Amino acid sequence: MFGLDYSWLADPAYQQWLLTGVVNTLKLAALSSSAAILIGMLGALGLTLRIFWIDALIELFVEVFRNTPPLLQMLFAYFTLSSLGLRVTDPSTGLSVPLLSAFACAAISLSLFGGALAIEAFRSGIETMPRAIVDAARSLGYGRWARFWRIEAPIAARICLPGLTNILTNLFKTTSQASVITVPELMYYAGQIYNDTFRTLEVMILVLLIYVVLVSILTFAMARLEALMAFPGYGRGH
Amino acid sequence: MNRVDALIELDNVRKSFGDVPVLKGISMFVQKGEAVCIIGPSGSGKSTVLRCINGLIPVDDGFVRVGAHRVHEMRSEKQMRALRHQVAMVFQQYNLFPHRTALENIMMAPIQVLGHDRAEVEERARKLLKKVRLSEKADSYPGQLSGGQQQRVAIARALAMQPDVILFDEVTAALDPETVKDVLFAIRELVEEGLTCILVTHEMKFAREVSQRVCFTDRGLIVESAPPAELFDNPQDPRTREFLGQVL
Ligand SMILES: Nc1ncnc2c1ncn2[C@@H]1O[C@H](COP(=O)(O)OP(=O)(O)O)[C@@H](O)[C@H]1O
Ligand SMILES: [Mg+2]
Repeated sequence: MFGLDYSWLADPAYQQWLLTGVVNTLKLAALSSSAAILIGMLGALGLTLRIFWIDALIELFVEVFRNTPPLLQMLFAYFTLSSLGLRVTDPSTGLSVPLLSAFACAAISLSLFGGALAIEAFRSGIETMPRAIVDAARSLGYGRWARFWRIEAPIAARICLPGLTNILTNLFKTTSQASVITVPELMYYAGQIYNDTFRTLEVMILVLLIYVVLVSILTFAMARLEALMAFPGYGRGH
Repeated sequence: MNRVDALIELDNVRKSFGDVPVLKGISMFVQKGEAVCIIGPSGSGKSTVLRCINGLIPVDDGFVRVGAHRVHEMRSEKQMRALRHQVAMVFQQYNLFPHRTALENIMMAPIQVLGHDRAEVEERARKLLKKVRLSEKADSYPGQLSGGQQQRVAIARALAMQPDVILFDEVTAALDPETVKDVLFAIRELVEEGLTCILVTHEMKFAREVSQRVCFTDRGLIVESAPPAELFDNPQDPRTREFLGQVL
């Protein structure tokens, strides 16, 4: 069809590569997304403490990771973390190997990048909280932690959810840059396959479709979550 | 008046925000079962007085006591917890937690803060909703209620803490005129049942009808304090006269 040749897809070796690539992409995305959300929550909570040096540290973290290219962050993590003496001896082979694999470096750097964006998103959700809601919670005897987890975080989460959807889809697409530091995810295997087969266009079209499907599943799930968590008067609620 | 018997006692309370003095020596006593209204121009420190009474803001100087709690000595939210159990507060607006239904708003703090039994709290909450005439709105979210209905749920939520005192801070100021009536009706019932109330209000007619005493504040001081008939019909201080002249 259209002169495209997909006969290579019948080769079980290539099928295996694609499958492994997809699984690794999903692993990397899931891991770094969860970590980013956690970092976002902790960072936003940290900012509510209004302690000068904590504010300054979080601010610095956000500025550094939000304002530099994620690819650079990943290369940086890979070449510093894996070369800065962080090596262990593999018990089975007796060889000295880097403590942090390329995958771990990618996961860490994507988590920090996504975390910085998530802090920003959650912060705006908490800052738009009417002061009266915080006062009402305090006057009902809620302490700082209970107030955050039971009242501020759930309200902020619902306000921030659309922003978070953007961050997570971006993070998902950014996992493809991990191929540069040899993480065997989908983009990496795509390169392997077209180097082997010279079917660059065909491979790219296929990989594109796979990303469209995967990211669509993610945005669909987030939209469902938004609908589920909506409450009247805020965001999508009616 | 005997200040030792008073449920609430403020003595020479001072508070500044930055360099701006907002309370310049407030003294007042409220007996158990009394309803006291605070009236005065906007910015005169009425809300700040209420916030000092339940410890939402620390005072700079002076003495604040509620029951056995010496509020001016409390520093942490943990120390405040027993006080917050005793003193409830209803604000001008955005009282309710928007992510919880009316019933859940009432039940949350008794369960999560006071650790009361859920079934018992639900029974209490439904009774209170009935009391403020909103039984049918139990499962509505605040965003689905009118301002007046929200305020009545907020009153029910305050009552669910089984407080000794409720502080009302201009709770009808942001409402449509038609819904003000229902909210005032609910408050009047509480006063008649003998609950101790301090009400900051702009509803002069209501203040006159329900309160035993009215305090007039101006620029961080209580200028005049008297039974409503006296304060409204025969104000002593020129500032009180001027204010009443503008609002009546
Ligand atoms: N948290 C705050 N920070 C700074 N200034 C405040 C704060 N709360 C109140 N004020 C100021 O204190 C004064 C009295 O406020 P408030 O007690 O709210 O007056 P009222 O309730 O009588 O209108 C006002 O000038 C107000 O701007
Ligand atoms: Mg006020």
